[in-house]
Amino acid sequence: MAATGLIPRVRRPRHGPRRVVGQKAWTPYLFMLPGLLLFALMFGWPAFISLQMSVSSYRIVTPVRYVGLDNFLRLAADPQFHHAIGNTFLFMAMFLPFAVVLPLFLAMLVNRRLRGIHAFRAAYYLPVVTSMVAVAVAWRYLLSQEGVVNWLLSLVGLGPIDFLLDTHWALPALAVVEGWKNMGLFMVIYLAALQGVPREHLEAATVDGAGAARRLWHIVLPAILPYVTVTLTLGMLESTRSFESIYVLTRGGPQDSTLTLGYYIWHTAFEKYDVGYASAAGLVLWLIMIGLALANQRLTRRRDA
Amino acid sequence: MAVAAPVRTPEKAATKPKALPRRRRPKVGTYVLLVLVAGVFVGPFLLLLATALKPSSQPVFSFPPDLIPRPPVVDWFVEAWTTIPYGRFLLNSVLYVGVTVPLYLVVSATTAYPLARISFRGRQFFFLLFLSTMFLPGELMLIPRFLVMRELGLLDSYPAVILPAILSSLGIFLLRQTFAAIPDEVIEAARVDGASEWRIFLSVACPIARPTIAVLAILGFISIWNSFLWPLVALDDQSKFPIALGIAYLSGVSGTDVRGLAAGTVLSLVPVIAVFVFLQRHILSSMAGAVKG
Repeated sequence: MAATGLIPRVRRPRHGPRRVVGQKAWTPYLFMLPGLLLFALMFGWPAFISLQMSVSSYRIVTPVRYVGLDNFLRLAADPQFHHAIGNTFLFMAMFLPFAVVLPLFLAMLVNRRLRGIHAFRAAYYLPVVTSMVAVAVAWRYLLSQEGVVNWLLSLVGLGPIDFLLDTHWALPALAVVEGWKNMGLFMVIYLAALQGVPREHLEAATVDGAGAARRLWHIVLPAILPYVTVTLTLGMLESTRSFESIYVLTRGGPQDSTLTLGYYIWHTAFEKYDVGYASAAGLVLWLIMIGLALANQRLTRRRDA
Repeated sequence: MAVAAPVRTPEKAATKPKALPRRRRPKVGTYVLLVLVAGVFVGPFLLLLATALKPSSQPVFSFPPDLIPRPPVVDWFVEAWTTIPYGRFLLNSVLYVGVTVPLYLVVSATTAYPLARISFRGRQFFFLLFLSTMFLPGELMLIPRFLVMRELGLLDSYPAVILPAILSSLGIFLLRQTFAAIPDEVIEAARVDGASEWRIFLSVACPIARPTIAVLAILGFISIWNSFLWPLVALDDQSKFPIALGIAYLSGVSGTDVRGLAAGTVLSLVPVIAVFVFLQRHILSSMAGAVKG
């Protein structure tokens, strides 16, 4: 994972382990004590409970009962769960351009010395700092049948589409809203990447008569490739966190067309109170995410070799 | 096309003289494009504001859209403030931010310091342990954390909202980077003077890391101000709702008038946008710095 830049290598101590004056063996652990306690309370214990629940039947009102792998067998035969997995990957595929491709163009647009460029960067980043609920409220107006988006479509002779109530359009509409909200974040990542592109190479290429497209393909892209892995990984993670927009805008509907794994888990646990079953589904989501992270790492390593 | 202009590094470009004759850039075209794209990102918020200012005599929806309020009225803001426990939601969010952010900074700093500056067995392991929390989606933690909170008897209480927000891999990660970047000589000098690790941490490392700590405070403020999902699960009593959850509640209660909902939403955005506008340069550059590592 180190090569993705997400997890940097820890710098090895220069002189090897040694006792420093005033430092007892347990000093570092004492420093980390609050962090470790919180980790145990908010991650360790919940992880343990999660595992326990996934092999139990538990519906809040009934006592916990061990059922072995029953939950997983039920999941394997549950068409709604399969549908949710499909939607999760579909959503990811529609969200990734907003994380990996479009922000690069945004970053290139604002990566220049111009008066007021900081204001533009801030404007593009604005949706990132606002709450998803507020964003959802605004987009509910924009996407409604009489909203601005449909008006723009009508100008080119299309529509109207009731985006959030149409089973074909609801999931793409959510991907656009989530993409719009998060694009600024990925833009900043690419901005950092672009600042590392050697200026001399670009100038040399310009002198040699290379056009913009050639410079992008042969100089900029190779230089920022490690960052593409970062946006890809973060984009995948972010797309599985799309719960809030779904909750506010569509509640998984119409007809389960926006039911993703995250929403499925929430719905199963907190609306149907089938906690054990939801925990098993959560474990499956977790395994999928580990799988994606490992695949990503593999991809990176092959290129490094 | 705008992307055609050569990509340049602002810092370097500032110090270097123009080395080569280059194509005159179409500046006006660039600005037009910049403004158009800005419209895409700021427009929805302006639309929200315009809707909140519309008088009831003017329809919210019309075709083609009639977006300019004539005349602008503040009635809906007054309504949002008075008919909903709006002040209460705001106060709750202030409380959540006020308690969580300081704790978050202390825990992040004390956890990050040994990971960056003290050599001990298992340092890499502990670092990866804390970092691994970054890869867990919130939805996965909802159920088990709900059960943990119930076990502790903390459901539907302020601590239920505060506790999970204190530990964040981002804080530990950024501060570890900052502490690790402090020159060895500075730390060594303090050690030679006989300072203990705690003393070095408090009097040397933390003051040097102040810019990072400030940025973390801002990011913490933003994220806690916007928190929605976990409070939704952990809280029942609406008098403890933070503002973002309050807005969703508002949309359920007064779903009848979109102007009132728009006004309430704008009110919830004001503090976080104000903080961002004043500090955006620091936020953006620190985010970029964090990515570069």
